[in-house]
Parts: sequence; structure tokens; C-alpha cells
Amino acid sequence: MAVLNRMDWYDLARTTNWTPTYVTEDELFPPLMSGAFGLPQDAWEKYDEPYKQTYPEYVKVQRDKDAGAYSVKAALERSRIFENADPGWKSVMKAHYGAIARGEYAAASAEARMMRFSKAPGMRNMSTLGCLDEIRHGQMQLYFPHEHVSKDRQMDWAFKAYDTNEWGMIAARHFFDDIMMTRDAISVSIMLTFSFETGFTNMQFLGLAADAAEAGDHTFANLISSIQTDESRHAQIGGPALKVLIENGQKAEAQKRVDIAVWGAWKLFSVLTGPIMDYYTPLEHRKQSFKEFMEEWIVAQFERALTDMGLDLPWYWDIFLKDLSETHHGMHMGSYFWRPTVWWNPAAGVTPDERAWLEEKYPGWNDTWGQCWDVIIDNVVDGNMAMAYPETLPYVCNMCQLPILGTPGKGWNVKDYPLEYNGRLYHFGSEVDRWCFQQEPERYAGHLSIVDRFLAGMIQPMDLGGALNYMGLAPGECGDDAHNYAWAEVYRALRAEKKAS
Amino acid sequence: MALFPITSNFEGDFVLQLVAVDSENTMDEVAAAAAVHSVGRRVRARPGQIMRVRRQGSEDFLPRSMRVSESGLKPTETVEIIWEAPKH
Repeated sequence: MAVLNRMDWYDLARTTNWTPTYVTEDELFPPLMSGAFGLPQDAWEKYDEPYKQTYPEYVKVQRDKDAGAYSVKAALERSRIFENADPGWKSVMKAHYGAIARGEYAAASAEARMMRFSKAPGMRNMSTLGCLDEIRHGQMQLYFPHEHVSKDRQMDWAFKAYDTNEWGMIAARHFFDDIMMTRDAISVSIMLTFSFETGFTNMQFLGLAADAAEAGDHTFANLISSIQTDESRHAQIGGPALKVLIENGQKAEAQKRVDIAVWGAWKLFSVLTGPIMDYYTPLEHRKQSFKEFMEEWIVAQFERALTDMGLDLPWYWDIFLKDLSETHHGMHMGSYFWRPTVWWNPAAGVTPDERAWLEEKYPGWNDTWGQCWDVIIDNVVDGNMAMAYPETLPYVCNMCQLPILGTPGKGWNVKDYPLEYNGRLYHFGSEVDRWCFQQEPERYAGHLSIVDRFLAGMIQPMDLGGALNYMGLAPGECGDDAHNYAWAEVYRALRAEKKAS
Repeated sequence: MALFPITSNFEGDFVLQLVAVDSENTMDEVAAAAAVHSVGRRVRARPGQIMRVRRQGSEDFLPRSMRVSESGLKPTETVEIIWEAPKH
């Protein structure tokens, strides 16, 4: 029997809206879940997805993708890539799996909300496939690291991280809960797929796949590439929704959601991706600095995506562009100095050669972050390790849940952005974080940051041991220097040379 | 006498930190408590200089002998700890 071409029947087949008679439209699509923005069903029927795929096509393509990624894994299982990899690269994998794998499962639930509650039939189709994508991503990113769990306890955090109160995970959860778990279907499409996936993850996965191939880890490179091809499809769910909103006079609401989600995504990438690109990746494998990568792959493309859509650049775009040279250096120093509180081993990345690279890419680095690193390096070289660890908590932002930081040394500009709301004093890491909070204070006001929990007596005993226990970090899981401080030898040699001359 | 949390923004450091002081501590003692978490860890000591305390956004230092309980500081409020060269 002849099969019709997809485009001969697709539009008709997706016309699945009907006029409810036994219940009201609001009962069928509760506004709280559907986020209809006051628009009736027929307005949403104009939603036209740019990437059309049928279920049989999807299954065939996905089967091929899975077969490709799993067969590469099977073929390379005995290659000892993990055992022989640079410790900095292992840290990249651990950070990635812990922060992302279970979040993918959570994203399946967010896709399912669009699948059930969106008034746009095309969105329901696309997010059905998107939901299956996210289940696949969760399964793969748990299955792939599992072979390493017996070799390295930190790999167990691929599964474990999402359920813990580890500070980075509180930050990740706060962000994902905000943009995808507690929003209506249309807001999820704008905040998760358009803002986070189009703006950041799509390109992040491309960059990470290239880094993995460069590091010789072809299993990871294939896994990440396989995921990225799904991302580039389902990331397009939000675009047509924005179009419908703008055409129906809802631009301001749409813009606000984009602005909130893009800022949160940026902060998360500044702690997760920034240190990986500029500090963990061995110098010889670095292609671009984090700033160059962001400017080329994120900023330029996202600016185009926004203006093509008829949206404005977020009001804070200048602040964002300036932060590209600054924030992630602080996030790296923070996660390195507080390294017992993360589930991977941060690579310091501050040998003289690496510092020269940082100074070239970020002029002034030595006079700013370098000044703090000078003190840390001296302590490590002198064996004064007690001073190379913290004895208190960094103050974290009540919006992004990440440390409140700025540029140190000669460019010192660290600042708190406080706000008193209903008698409670909140602290924010930037004007933008505070602005996000102020858009809907009741949404965020009840949340306790890790510091708030400490002050409320929820972390006992009130010391590092108590904090590690609260964060779920067992012995053997706490982070320490990725290279066991071997990098300090070059500084010892330099000192000896100086003394001899 | 009561534990009093403040947020320390130490000159030259990169991050705000939680510091526990006592409501009866003087500003000099507050500065010293904050220094424990910055000086020698990520900020070099400045021999001969003293550390002064001011509210964020203020140009004026709080008097060195002023107690936390007299300062009007709120719990967790951010104070800046600034190096001051001796006056000759």
C-alpha cells in the first residue's frame, strides 16, 4: 500500500483540538497549568512548529542514534580511557553527569506538562517527542557513567547529586524548579526550551563534544553529540509560542520570562562550564577561552534568535557582556577553595604557563584573580594547607544560590545587592539577580539558601563536618585538588632557582 | 552577649563570607574576625595597616570601639573591611 508523504497528512493529523462540551475550556486546560495568557484555543492553533517529525520517523532516527552511541561505548569499554585520562578531564565528566543526568529526567516531566496542557496541538506533538528525548538522555547519562562507579566513588554522584543538599545542586535545582518544574506549559516552552536550550545547552553540548574528542574520550563525545541532536530539535518548541504571544499583545510577559531564564542559565554556566573551559581542560587542548566561546557561540547566536523573534535583548545585556570576563573566574576560585564541598576534584589550572594564557585571554588577570591565587599558591608550596582551605561559608545569593562574588585584588569590586522583603534581609549577587526576585517575590521568598539553613540551625554540628554531612558528601566523595597539588612543583622549582641565583 | 552573624566583604578578596561575631564585639574585633577568613588565605597581610569597618555604600568608618549592638547593624548585613594606612 502506498504511504502518503508526511506533509500530505501532518497538518491534518495534528489538528487535535476540539470544542469541549462536558467541561469548560478552563477545566480542560486549567490556566495555572496551561498558561494560556488569556488566549483561546484557536489562537494557539496557529502555533506552527518549524521542525516536523512523525512518530515512526522519530523512532527510526532515535533507534539509530542509540545504536551508534551504545556501540561506541561497547567498543571502547576496554580502552582504559577513564583510567588514563587527565584528572582534569575526569572532573569535567563528574561535574557534567552529576549536574545534568537526573535533571534530564526532571525535564521529561516538564515536557510532559507541555504535552498534556498546552493548547497548541503542534506543541503537544513536539513535546511528546521531547519527553521521550529527555527520558533517553537521563537513561544514557546514568548508564554511561555507571561503568566507572566501581573505580571512583565520585562517579556515583551522576545518580546521587540531584537528591542531595550539596550547594551546587541546590543552585541547579532552584534554577530548574523555577524554569521548568513549577511553570505553566507555555512558560516552560519559553524558559526551558527557548531560553535555556536554544540559548545555552545546544551550544554547550557542541562545545563539550568537541572537548571530549580532543581529550580522546570518544565514548563521551558520541554520547554528548547524540544528545545534542535531540536538543537542537526540541529546543525549537518555544519559538513558535513566543510568536503567538507577541502577535497577541503579550510581548512584555514573554520578554520577562526570557530575561529571567537567560540570567539564571548564565549563572549556572558560569560555575559549571566556565571553570571547565578555562581551568580544568589541559592547556594544550584549549581551543577557545570561555569568554571567546560564549561570545561566538552563545552571544552572537542568541542575539540573532531574540531579534528574529521580535524580542528585545534583555535589559541587562551590557552587564552580562561585562560579566563574561569576570564571573566564572570567581566561581572557579570559589569551587576550588571550597573543594571539599563538591563531588569532583577541581583542577587549579594556575601554573605559570596557564597563568600566561589567562593573562592573554583576560588582560589584568594577574593583578586581580592572580593576587588571590598568589596567596593560595604560597600556602600550597609552603605546605601550609590549613590556610588553603576555608573555615566558613561563602555568602550565597538568594536568587541563583551561588556565591556572591566579584573581581578581587587591584580591581576589587565585590558588592552585595541586598533587599529587605517582609522583614527578612535577602542578599543577591547582582542587580539582575535582585531584579529576578522582585518580579515575583512570593515565588522565591520562602526558599532558604544554604547559608539561611546554616543560620537556622538546620546544619549540625555547625562546622565543616556537619556541612559535608548535610550535603551528603561521604568520605571518598569530597573533592580535592585534581592533580594532588603536583602543579605546585613548578613553583617550588622556581623558588629554588631564584634562591640559587 | 549573643552570637551575631555578619557578611564580610573584605578588601581585595573575591567573595562575601559569613562571619560569626558577638553582639558585644567592637568594630576592631569584627574586622579581626573577618580577617581570619581572608588574610593569609587569599589576601596578603599588610603589616602596619589597620582594618576598619564600614557599612556597604558608606564612606565613613564605624568607630573602632563601637560595639555591634550599638551600630544598628542587622543580622547578616554586609560590612566592608577596609585597610587603612596609619596616620602620621
